[in-house]
Amino acid sequence: MDWQFLEETFVSLVAAIPLTIELAVTSICLGAILALLLALARLSGFTILDWFARLYVFVFRGTPLLVQIFLIYYGLGQFPVIRHSIFWPFLRDPYWCAVLALTLNTAAYASEIIRGGLLSVPHGQVEAARACGMHRLMMFRRIILPLAIRQALPGYGNEMISMVKATSLASIITLMEVTGVAAKIISETYRAIEVFVVSGAIYLAINFVLTRLIQFAEYRLSPHLRPPVPVMRDTAAAAAPIGDPQ
Amino acid sequence: MTATPIALSVRDMHKSFGPVEVLRGISLDALEGEVVSILGSSGSGKSTFLRCINLLETPDSGEVTVAGETIRMQRTARGAHRASDGRQVDRIRSQLGMVFQSFNLWSHKTVLENVIEAPVYVQGRSRAECIEEAEALLAKVGIADKRNFYPAHLSGGQQQRAAIARALAMHPKVMLFDEPTSALDPELVGEVLRVMRALAEEGRTMLVVTHEMGFARDVSSRVIFLHKGVVEEDGKPQDVFAGSRSERFRQFISQ
Repeated sequence: MDWQFLEETFVSLVAAIPLTIELAVTSICLGAILALLLALARLSGFTILDWFARLYVFVFRGTPLLVQIFLIYYGLGQFPVIRHSIFWPFLRDPYWCAVLALTLNTAAYASEIIRGGLLSVPHGQVEAARACGMHRLMMFRRIILPLAIRQALPGYGNEMISMVKATSLASIITLMEVTGVAAKIISETYRAIEVFVVSGAIYLAINFVLTRLIQFAEYRLSPHLRPPVPVMRDTAAAAAPIGDPQ
Repeated sequence: MTATPIALSVRDMHKSFGPVEVLRGISLDALEGEVVSILGSSGSGKSTFLRCINLLETPDSGEVTVAGETIRMQRTARGAHRASDGRQVDRIRSQLGMVFQSFNLWSHKTVLENVIEAPVYVQGRSRAECIEEAEALLAKVGIADKRNFYPAHLSGGQQQRAAIARALAMHPKVMLFDEPTSALDPELVGEVLRVMRALAEEGRTMLVVTHEMGFARDVSSRVIFLHKGVVEEDGKPQDVFAGSRSERFRQFISQ
């Protein structure tokens, strides 16, 4: 075992972790917003919005992410309209191409997860909100979304983990995230096993932390699903935001 | 002697679900302080009637007036009947306290949070004031010690009492009860009925869809019997129960 080589590899790959995390966080956040809009479009009751969202999900779930990345990175530049648009400074940059592809892709999966969460909200609780005079937006913000997120979180956790791993595909369009750096070291040293073992371990570590964060969020958001703890919160604490555990 | 003002008035309400005509022209004037029990066998339209009053179901025709304000309705191009002003509906709903058969407490909020939610967010009142009032209401329905519990951790009777406190927190002009004890174990029915009886004695205007004959007879000031979407009996409980002319009502209470 060449410990020195492993250590050097590890140090080089650790330096690439920020880019991997940046890609994942940016695309998960942007993707979540897009996913929520798509889920709302599916449930809006407007045929056009519904079918647009269905088609979107069908296309982006049904084609490989790698193909989507290639199409965005190599494909979009072929159109003069795009080269001369205000988006070109972004779209010529491989980083933003990767973010765009990852965002569009995760939004398709996540919209179905969110839709499932929204559909799981008990009808009676929505009715109770209507009956006390809440308007639609308030009802959505105060009752429907908090309940839907709790239901969607386990499934969404899966999707976030997938996204962390999917960032490795960005290496194919020259981005030097963990896998990109790993591939470069291999091409210089021809020592694939050691390098990929180290890079695999790094993804494992990132996802370990992510899993714990998701578990923590689930715990925080679900005090009503745990057995009751006899607590006496004072009035000020009772006024704290929803979902506040004891 | 001045006439008691009318708290809630329903004029000629009709409602169909597909080919089934559930309400076939129901009218009702509930005076302030009146406790109206609405009886009827299953499928008689009594729950639908209650749900049409606060527009959880949209009636096909008819008029609802709460404390003098009539809900404005319009016909769409396709002939559907619907409210013309969503804000007005929201405002009127906030004056009608609804208690459901299956409680429908918000499961992600504690009992106290359930009670203060609508006063704070719908009526825009100060949180501190609402909390103080909510605690008094919870004490009144006998679950002050459960204020920091989540609904899932309460018995059905406790949940229903919390739901009553939630409705009361809005200072409603009329309380609507949709079979409030039908989902409860028999031994829990009493605690909810006791709370409702106390509200009746306070002089609150209440419409109660119920199967509890004892409540209808002893607590309400008026009994309405619905059959196949029309009012078959309407009167003081002693008159209706003692000398009903309706063969169907006699059949209904003898079951």
